[in-house]
Amino acid sequence: MPQKQPPSVDFTLDVRGESCPYPVIYTLETLQQLQKGQLLQVVADCPASLRNVPEEVVKHGYVLEREPEKDGRELYFYIRA
Amino acid sequence: MKTLYARLFQNYWSPYLVMALAGLFSAFYFGITGTVWAVTGEFTRLAGHAMALFGADVSDWSYFKLIGMKGTTFTRTDGWIVWGMFAGALIMVLLNNNFKIRTPRQKRRWAQGFAGGIVAGFGARLALGCNLAAFFTGVPQFSLHAWIFMVATAGGTFLGAKLVAAAWWKGKPVVTKGAIARKAAKPSNVQPVLGAVAAVAYAGLIAYLFASGHRMLGVAALFGALFGILIERGQICFTSAFRDLWISGRATMTKAIIVGMAVSSVATLAVILINGMEPITKIAALSTLVGGLLFGIGIVMAGGCETGMMYRLMEGQIVFLPVFIGNVIGAGALAYAWDHMGVYDTLVASGSKINLIDVLGSGGALAATLIVLAAGFAIAAYWQKHYRFKNGFKKGDNAHAAKTTAVR
Repeated sequence: MPQKQPPSVDFTLDVRGESCPYPVIYTLETLQQLQKGQLLQVVADCPASLRNVPEEVVKHGYVLEREPEKDGRELYFYIRA
Repeated sequence: MKTLYARLFQNYWSPYLVMALAGLFSAFYFGITGTVWAVTGEFTRLAGHAMALFGADVSDWSYFKLIGMKGTTFTRTDGWIVWGMFAGALIMVLLNNNFKIRTPRQKRRWAQGFAGGIVAGFGARLALGCNLAAFFTGVPQFSLHAWIFMVATAGGTFLGAKLVAAAWWKGKPVVTKGAIARKAAKPSNVQPVLGAVAAVAYAGLIAYLFASGHRMLGVAALFGALFGILIERGQICFTSAFRDLWISGRATMTKAIIVGMAVSSVATLAVILINGMEPITKIAALSTLVGGLLFGIGIVMAGGCETGMMYRLMEGQIVFLPVFIGNVIGAGALAYAWDHMGVYDTLVASGSKINLIDVLGSGGALAATLIVLAAGFAIAAYWQKHYRFKNGFKKGDNAHAAKTTAVR
């Protein structure tokens, strides 16, 4: 499925190949190091990430910029710090 | 048709619904076969067969006498539960077009998974069951050992969570400036076709088992596949049910599993009373406590328990192959240590089989179980609401630590 142009991304966290809980840990740690308002792109392919990454970033006060996107077997998240 | 397919096979199912169904099915399975949904006992037998293959005479090991070693994995219901779970999970992954060899970027994950698998396999068998028989299907049997195991597992996962959060264990992620290019290539539809073929073939196998008079094996093959389908579709992870509480306060799995156990407790008691069956009670002893603790540490080290690793492996997360092998080695090591190294005498012999039904009556046992589960659910819900990554229950601005620490 062709996507709209992704928003302007400040940093990318590539956790492809990593299984739980590392995608969530890495994502939350990286977000803590960003400036407020910066946009983080997370690329994951652990199927459980589809649920636990969005749930946890929202719970921790970050903004999911758009719905998680599935691109083939990879997942893309856009998270505003 | 297409939307139904998408809903069933391209979206994950609600973990609450999945666990409620798993609880119901495990009660049915108990009613039909008199055994519970379990996997690690069979892993131990696989270890026994492997050792026998290399010339060891395991016939007089008391642990194998305890769990029974008759036949091969394909002539045992416990065997078909395991292979059925792999088959059911794989079929779902293929229908979802989601099989991909997923290789961890951190090479250390291989060693971590293998080590964790051994510890978890050893601990589970020490306690006479993993998160299934000593937990998800143990609590509904009103066997006290399951409660001890659960509490000990929670403690073990706390230690495990501390370990995996250490910098030397988790490793550094790859963070780059800007976006990375996407490969927009659409995956072909080979996998869903293969999945459909596999589903038909597996259904044929179940039909064959029934037709050839192996009814119980057929039942096990069917229920194994159902359990595999459910845990994959619900992305059920018993490890995360505990571990994520300690890491980021996520309790979705915790709550879903509690709901499943509540449903299963009611259904299992109904089966026990209607069929006039005896509940399956296992020894509660020091070994349950130590085993649960080791199991908890091991599953967090490995990133998955003996159940979760099965569908993860079918998704192509090949780091779970060493976990599987580790589980079998750990289970085999326990079987050896059981009588050869005095594990039974020091940790198990003093224990006893305690069933809540005998102590409290069937109504009391169910009431006590449901009350404690409800309390657990309430604690999990509170936890999820208030526990935060790195801060725990402390109030604080968890976000934007950048104000004080610069980007590394």
